[in-house]
Amino acid sequence: MSMFDGPKPLDTAKSDQANAKMESSGVPPGSSAAVPRPNRKFGRWSDCWREMPRQKQWLILIPIVIVAFLLPVVNPPFITTEPGNDWPLACQLMAIYALVAVGLNIVIGYAGLLDLGYIAFFAVGSYTAAMLTSPDSAFIKIPYLWTLPVAIAVSMFVGVLLGLPTLRLRGDYLAIVTLGFGEIVRILATIIPAMKGQPGFQNVGHPPGVGADGIPIFANSNGTPWYWLTLSILIIMLFLVGNMERSRVGRAWIAIREDEDAAETMGVPTFKYKVWAFALGAGVGGLAGALMGGQVGFVNNQKFDVVTSILFVAAVVLGGSGNKVGAILGGALVAYIPLRFTAIAEYKFLIFGLALVLIMIYRSQGLVPAKQRLLAYGTKAYAAVRRQNAENARRPGTPDGSSGSGTPPTTPVPNAEGSAS
Amino acid sequence: MTLLELDDVSVYYGRIQAIHNMSFTVEEGEIVSLIGANGAGKTTTMKTISGLLNPTTGTIKFMGEDITKMKAHIRVVQGISQAPEGRGIFPAMTVLENLDMGTFGRKDRSGVGEDLERVFDLFPRLKERVKQYGGTMSGGEQQMLAIGRALMSRPKLLLLDEPSMGLAPQFIRQIFKIITEINSQGTTVLLVEQNANQALARAHRGFVLETGEITHSGTGKELLANPAIKEAYLGVG
Repeated sequence: MSMFDGPKPLDTAKSDQANAKMESSGVPPGSSAAVPRPNRKFGRWSDCWREMPRQKQWLILIPIVIVAFLLPVVNPPFITTEPGNDWPLACQLMAIYALVAVGLNIVIGYAGLLDLGYIAFFAVGSYTAAMLTSPDSAFIKIPYLWTLPVAIAVSMFVGVLLGLPTLRLRGDYLAIVTLGFGEIVRILATIIPAMKGQPGFQNVGHPPGVGADGIPIFANSNGTPWYWLTLSILIIMLFLVGNMERSRVGRAWIAIREDEDAAETMGVPTFKYKVWAFALGAGVGGLAGALMGGQVGFVNNQKFDVVTSILFVAAVVLGGSGNKVGAILGGALVAYIPLRFTAIAEYKFLIFGLALVLIMIYRSQGLVPAKQRLLAYGTKAYAAVRRQNAENARRPGTPDGSSGSGTPPTTPVPNAEGSAS
Repeated sequence: MTLLELDDVSVYYGRIQAIHNMSFTVEEGEIVSLIGANGAGKTTTMKTISGLLNPTTGTIKFMGEDITKMKAHIRVVQGISQAPEGRGIFPAMTVLENLDMGTFGRKDRSGVGEDLERVFDLFPRLKERVKQYGGTMSGGEQQMLAIGRALMSRPKLLLLDEPSMGLAPQFIRQIFKIITEINSQGTTVLLVEQNANQALARAHRGFVLETGEITHSGTGKELLANPAIKEAYLGVG
């Protein structure tokens, strides 16, 4: 006997009561449901940050940026990597890794596509810069700074090229294919004569300018200007990525990450947005590669191995997949730790492995967990909801209807329309 | 007017045929229920209509237009919206963000506020929880959110895949009440259910699916009265 055909009258009567109870108990004034609760699952910092007015955000941001720019000059004791490694160059490497992590975070963190061959785009960027500036290359030569946009364009193109056939795959399959792709690029660099394999390209170009002592400002060993250049680019990228995250594109990515089929049935052209994520991620990776190639001044096939690729993924996961601040932190840490603790640099993969295991156990969302505000005017809408709730709480005598269906057009409404653009 | 028309549709998973030459129609303004046991092809039928699966043979027409080859995300714009099985909400998005995702394919942004009001009218519970993360809500609330989100695209045809799955009986009743209400507001509903009693009682017409084929069809009341169906799906011997 099923539960559906029991004694009808009693059943419906009972359930109707339950319904009535449920509906009437909608939100009793001042109930816990009506009062916005702080979200305990995610950090309070990001909530605080979002509720701050713009000016206050700037007040905090600008000193941080200034400190970041001064980092190689100040050479803070204890933090510094000297005497083992040159501190400005260490800063540069950290900035490069941070940039890589920001790019990879688009692919892994936002769109949820596990790309284990991200090094390939880094390599494409490096080679683009090298082949267009190094005297060892047979190609036309252009000024170094021009190779940066070219590197972005070429690696984006390669990203689309890889994405079109492979992004129909999902999850593990995609990871395996990208892993293979990472290797393909490295092997191509070995076997294609024009890419010169292990001898590689020497004297890769650098930005113009000569110091007072006749040495180029952007000399290979002079980390500070390179770091400033990379940091500036990183900050620009952060603005662009941040805007993208809050836009329609960002929402589409998050939806794809959360549930691809559901996203598709919401009207998100999932394939298109996945290719976009791939291409944009590739572009940032290529840019980082070109910067790295320029600074090191030497590009060959030895640097673009799978291990480094995994390190990039580790940086994103460590920092907090889906959070650009986390990605920067993760990238910088992954670059910093082996340089700072030179005694244990040999064991860096052991340490990263352990760190990853521990982080996955105790802080599975990374050091700085992701928390997107996807609606363009979300901040305002949420603030308005809070205000309304606070008002309701202040007037405990108000009838229940105030928070029920009879409420005047709710705050989310303008917001939902606003997010159209 | 015929809103949806499936003609001789067959769907395969690799070499396994999940749907055998299925044909049926959904008229405008109806609630149509597809009932069947596990593995009968209910969800496959839904996914084929929403465009997540492609039929091997046959045609699907929506408002007289052939949409067999149309991608799922374009079908949403055309007016077919699905609340997927297992709810398929976005757990890391808040209720409001989830609802907003429902409007992704919409061209007319002006009606969004109105539709949000409508969803909040149907599901006051969602309004209380605009800020809550989808993943932290109860099963029933997630189901409400999935239906609400599907409504945000202002569909002509709403596809509901097992809205009662895993819900307490009182919640099931509430959900079905709301489905009737949605329908009375002018949205055609195609419903897939194992909960045959409720689904047929609320439906204008119903179909019974068995291993990928329609074995019975008729009005909801007719099917409810059919002894064979009673025995197989309603648990009455």
